[in-house]
Order: sequence, then C-alpha cells, then structure tokens
Amino acid sequence: MAVTGDDQRLRKLMLAGIAGDSQAQTELLSALAVRLRSYFRNRGMTPSDGEDLVQETLIAVHTKRSMYDPAQPLLAWVHAIARYRLIDRYRREKKRGVQVPVEDWSEALAGEAPEAGDPARDVARLLDQLPDKQRRSIELVKLQEKSVAEAASLTGWSQSDIKVSIHRGMKLLQRLVSDRAPHSQEGLV
Amino acid sequence: MDTETLIRALARDEGPTPRSQIAARIALALGVGLGFGLLALSATLGFRPDLGTAMWAVAAKALFAAVIGTAGLGAAMHLSRTLARTRAALPLLIMGGASLLIAAIALASEMPEHRWAAWTGNGFPWCVVLIPVFSIPTALGLVWALRDGAPTRLTLAGAAIGALSGSVGTIVYAGFCPVDSIAFVTTWYVAGIALSAAVGALAGRWLLRW
Repeated sequence: MAVTGDDQRLRKLMLAGIAGDSQAQTELLSALAVRLRSYFRNRGMTPSDGEDLVQETLIAVHTKRSMYDPAQPLLAWVHAIARYRLIDRYRREKKRGVQVPVEDWSEALAGEAPEAGDPARDVARLLDQLPDKQRRSIELVKLQEKSVAEAASLTGWSQSDIKVSIHRGMKLLQRLVSDRAPHSQEGLV
Repeated sequence: MDTETLIRALARDEGPTPRSQIAARIALALGVGLGFGLLALSATLGFRPDLGTAMWAVAAKALFAAVIGTAGLGAAMHLSRTLARTRAALPLLIMGGASLLIAAIALASEMPEHRWAAWTGNGFPWCVVLIPVFSIPTALGLVWALRDGAPTRLTLAGAAIGALSGSVGTIVYAGFCPVDSIAFVTTWYVAGIALSAAVGALAGRWLLRW
C-alpha cells in the first residue's frame, strides 16, 4: 500500500486530535469532508444524500477515533468507514444486491472538491432525542461554544459531569445517526 | 446543520480522547458470561454427580475449549476494528480442522466394536445444541462489547464472537457432560462451537450494526 504524503499529514492531524488538539481535529475533519463529498458524489448519491453521508461518516470518524490504530494508513481507515456507511445506507433502504466495489482507497478518496449540498436530514434535530443532561451539555459546549467551565457554572453540574455527558451524548448521537429512517420514508412512519 | 458547523461542534473542547475500552469490555463479557453460564447450568442440568473424581477429565475438556477460545478471542479482538483482515479467522478454522483430525486418530486407535460408543457417547450428542444455549450470556455481553468498537465486517465479526462465546459455553457444559472420550469431545464440542459461530455469523449483520 502506498502511503502518500497526504496520508502522513492527515494521520498527524488525527493523532494530534486524539491527544486533544481541537484545531487539528477541525482541520482533519474539514480535509476529510472534501474528500468524502466527492467519494459519495462519485457513487451516485444526490448532493443532499451525499451530504448526509459525509456528516454520518465524519461523526463516525470522530466518535470511533479511539479505535484507530496509528499503524494503519489513515485514508484507508476513513475509506473503510465511508464504505461501511454507504453499504449501511443501502441496507437501510433495503436495496438488495447493490454492489459497492472494493477500490484502492488512495484513489477513492483522492477526488477534487464538489460544492457542499444541504444535508437531507438535520443532525441538530437528533439532539432533541438525547436525555436532557446530555443534550444541554452538548448544546452549551458544542453549539454555543461555551467552555466546559462556563457550562458547569451555568448548569451547576461539575466539569467532569459535563465532559462525561458530552462523551455519552456523542456516542448516543452516533447511534441515532445510524438508526434513523431513510428520508424518503420519514413521512410514512 | 451544515457540515462546517458540525465539524466545529465535533472538534470543540473535548480534551484528549480516552483510550478504547473494548478490551476491558470483552474481558467483562467473558467473566460475566462464564458466571451466568455456570449459574444457568447448576439451575438446570446441574453438574455431573461424580465431579470430584472426574475433576481432571472436566479440567482437560475445559482446557480444550479454552484453547479454541484463545483463537476466538484473537479473531474477535481483531474484527472489532475497522480494516480487519479476513485471515484473522484462520486460526479458528485451523483449530477446528486439527480437532477433527485428532478425533479421527483417536477413533482409529479404538477397537472397532468400541468405536461407535467412543464417537457418539451411546446416544445423541446433545452438546451440539446445549453448548450454544450456555453460550448465550457470553454472546450478549460480546455484542455489547463490539458495538463499542468499529467493526465493518459484521458477518465475520459475528462468527468470531459466536465461536468465542461457544468456547465459553463449552467450558460451562464440560461441568455437566458425562462423556470423556477424546473422539467425542474433539468432534461434538467443536460442532457445538461451530454452530454458535454460524448463529453468530447470521445475527452479527443485524446486532453489530453501528
């Protein structure tokens, strides 16, 4: 397997992100978003469904990053997750017999950037399904960009309480993302 | 929520990522699964009455299951990760094949008139069915453990945790099983573990989704 310079750079960002550098994590996820967008677009997804899958994959990459083994090439790892999310999408939509080819990951995630589409479903709406404490912690820290200390003094919960709630909430959010019904069927349920 | 906002939200202020807990979860699943399996055995079939004098035979059979279990553990650990290789399941297949070979050798060295009894224990080998039953507590725990991982080969990962929980179920069942013949153990115990693995393969696709 050819480990490109790009892979090295992204892998460094990944390891820095795992160590707690949120700047590196932002840079990594943004770089991956561009690649994932063209990955899903090239596999026949509409811009809005493609953007859903980009978001699903980014959430999966983020919440599962403790499972990343630094010995693995990063783009191969991300590609495997993207491919899994794509297969899972087909499975949810019960399209049988769809083949997702196994490709060389270095080519599959190399494409140039298409425009971002609007996601068909809104991650923010999934937040409403979280338990209060987790939802509130995520809203304060992640969306209103307060520090953990500020969130703690606003809610009266301890800082470690907030961190644990965010951690649990993110895991639950990941599960909700993969369990949600396909958009086309939402009106029928 | 647009993707830029999502990225900023994801990356914000989480501090260092804790190490994966998956190994601890698997260990917990194995311990609790073994405990509940033994409880279930003593509440239903009970331990064999001659457990005291047959201690070594029971221990040898449990050890045999544990050896297969180590291959199952290696496969399950590996397949809990993204980018797992199919060949992680190879040691399990090799051990299964080796067991059947041992069964054939053991049978060949028996007197012909004793072969049938040595192979079947003079009856239907119920362990093929009962081993998967006593593996259920472990299997449930392992599903919980692997959902915390990032498996992408769900069928194979399901087969691996089926084989691993089948090995634990076999250790439990060895406390009851009155047949100590080598050919019996190396054939039907392995068949019970293989059946667990097959059920795991079918269920993994659904239960291990994330």
